[in-house]
Amino acid sequence: MRGISLRDVSVGFDGVAALSSVTLGVEAGEQLAVIGASGAGKSTLFRALTRNVPLGGGLVTVAGEDLYALSRRRLNELRRRIGTIYQAYNLIPQLPAGVNVSLGVVGGLGSLRALRTFFAGPDAGLSQKVRAALEEIGLGDKAGVRTADLSGGQQQRVAVARLLVQRPDVILADEPFAAVDPVTTERVLETLLHLNREGATLLVNLHDVEIARRFPRVVALREGRVAFDGPPERLTEDELTTIYAGDRKEARAGADTGLPHDRSGIERSMRLLEGRDGVSSH
Amino acid sequence: MAFPRTEHQGIGGVVPRFSWKSSIAVLVVLGLTGYSVAGTDFDVLELLAGAGPAERFVSEMFPPDLSASTLQATGTGILETFQMSYLGAMIGAAVAFPLSVLGTQEIATVGASRGERLLRSVPYHLSRFVLNVFRSVPDILWALVFVVALGLGPFPGTLALAVHSAGVLGKLYSETLEAVPARPVEALTATGASDFQAFLFGRLPQAISGFISLTLYQWECNIRSATILGFVGAGGIGQEILISMNLFDYPKVATLVGATIIVVLLVDRFSAAMRKRLAY
Repeated sequence: MRGISLRDVSVGFDGVAALSSVTLGVEAGEQLAVIGASGAGKSTLFRALTRNVPLGGGLVTVAGEDLYALSRRRLNELRRRIGTIYQAYNLIPQLPAGVNVSLGVVGGLGSLRALRTFFAGPDAGLSQKVRAALEEIGLGDKAGVRTADLSGGQQQRVAVARLLVQRPDVILADEPFAAVDPVTTERVLETLLHLNREGATLLVNLHDVEIARRFPRVVALREGRVAFDGPPERLTEDELTTIYAGDRKEARAGADTGLPHDRSGIERSMRLLEGRDGVSSH
Repeated sequence: MAFPRTEHQGIGGVVPRFSWKSSIAVLVVLGLTGYSVAGTDFDVLELLAGAGPAERFVSEMFPPDLSASTLQATGTGILETFQMSYLGAMIGAAVAFPLSVLGTQEIATVGASRGERLLRSVPYHLSRFVLNVFRSVPDILWALVFVVALGLGPFPGTLALAVHSAGVLGKLYSETLEAVPARPVEALTATGASDFQAFLFGRLPQAISGFISLTLYQWECNIRSATILGFVGAGGIGQEILISMNLFDYPKVATLVGATIIVVLLVDRFSAAMRKRLAY
């Protein structure tokens, strides 16, 4: 599969620009971390790569194909090669974990087979691939458990198992570590890197700059524009200050309201922001 | 953080302060109330004057008629009402489901052409129109229509309940389908699931418990409606009540009404308990 390219891409919601003239190229098999303050456009960027937001302008190319010009059928074929994982897991909470993992390949079933599977019942025999994926992430005994009854970390692992079943060419991980503990973070990251070593292009949207520094390339978004694109070594404190400037401004605005007139508190919150986006490193 | 001791620590109120907007709103409410009182000849004194005949009517109902023939007629009427309400809800649900699916606004149309969007909107508007017609005509009017077409009995009553239930449930089902969290469904389409597959495995599993809860509630409503439908000859215990009223057999009316209240309460409790379990 060829890489991903965005040329002059703009996306807006109700007149507010979420992405403004973003131009970005990602080679097949590359590892890329995307950072930026809340509302910088990171998630919108990922949603544009699966055609889940209307495009204001520009061109999104995945595997050499203009994503927004594809027919519905061709779009679904291409999407089957894209795996996604999210901060909020986005699994179907009412379904058993095993079925959620199987859904990684639901796009490959025809409509009739999908209907047959739907009526077959949740314990109608999961494929060997699904069981192996659950084993690999340490949830082999949870296949029949309702996903809503699993912990947050376990749900994120189920989402990873879905990727293992899908074996996509492109992985879009949208803040996958924001709601999980450090052990799960390492486990999930290791699986994502393993899939990358097997050839998948890996784009990870991160709140944690320390984890982003472990990637060979970091792209930073600020107010919907690319503010930095390069190796992590070039990501200086000054660069980070510029990237997260919006958050600093908000912190100052909070201080100016005069409510928490405790200087040490403000300094503490500034230090937290220097730990990037209020999320401390794991 | 230290606050001055003397500072009054209020928490803020809820009712809005005086403003022209709130004053006009209050005036509109009062004006409409007065207008409606005048239009309906609403008179509390007249109500109190009517207390005597009402008391006579109620006292003539006691003691209720508990003879074998009355109890048998009550049992038959109650059973028929129960069957009408249940079948009406079931047929209504079966008709409502496909219409609600068509009447659910599809979100996965990003990047679709204008023609494609237009094509998708046709079944949406068509099914919404059908559901609106089913719902906006009251069940008692449907019963009159079916009694005229099919004659007296529980069958036209069941059909009336089914059509009205289909209209109500169809609208509520489609709103439930639209209200389920969209991101898990989007996650499925993002990995290549077709709209149909995303519906089957994403939207529907999230909506099913809501569907069951709504259907139970509709059954609850149907059992109340089914007692009224008999007044226009559409079967059920209502028909027995009407006949007894016309024959001035008030003790029998008391038995029939008492039995109806008990059954309605029982179905209410059962339905509420089931819905509570589903919500959990």
